[in-house]
Amino acid sequence: MLLFRSEPHVGRWCAQWNRPRGGTLNLEQGWQLAQEWYGDRLSPQWRAKTVVEAEASFAAIGLVGEFWKLAG
Amino acid sequence: MEAKAVDRSLRRYIYRHFIRHGRAPLVKEIAAALSAPMRQVRAGLKRLAETHAFVLQETGELWRAAPFSAVPTSFPVQVGKRRWWANCIWDALGIPAMLHRDARIDASCGCCNHQMVLHVTNGRLSGPKGIIHIAVPARHWYDDIVFT
Repeated sequence: MLLFRSEPHVGRWCAQWNRPRGGTLNLEQGWQLAQEWYGDRLSPQWRAKTVVEAEASFAAIGLVGEFWKLAG
Repeated sequence: MEAKAVDRSLRRYIYRHFIRHGRAPLVKEIAAALSAPMRQVRAGLKRLAETHAFVLQETGELWRAAPFSAVPTSFPVQVGKRRWWANCIWDALGIPAMLHRDARIDASCGCCNHQMVLHVTNGRLSGPKGIIHIAVPARHWYDDIVFT
């Protein structure tokens, strides 16, 4: 999970490593996801998210579609 | 002590150690701190590693306790006078999210290494615009977590 300056830089990296383009999100979405994922990590009650909960976290910030599915 | 209680203590101790000392605790340090036999600590670490949040080196020592990395990476995160390494850009953002603190993230472009310094201040992210790219579909993230 890397950060890039712009779309062309993502494309260049994919070409260099001979990888198909994956999923992208902007930094604000990344920050929201980080807060959702790690915000309660130090709580004594913390537990790992279930697949359904994790997919709901992705969907809440607009990350939907086949790429973001954890099950199947 | 039952396995669940051991794992809870381990988890709490590992995060507390990372936060206080800026590095992962060694297995022998964990065993001493928790007054537990090394084999019990190693077994607990293996169970924690099954959750994917924790990754062990071949030696059995900690490699990652997400969002922290035990080894230097391209994602240094500074909070006050303390500094940690994150595993990826998601985890770099995860450190201030977890600590609920302001932070500076010295990130750079994965393509050309152009510096991209990000700041978290009062819960808001600022810095250059950028795009996070995840090369592997979500269902395969843990097939090879290091590449992911």
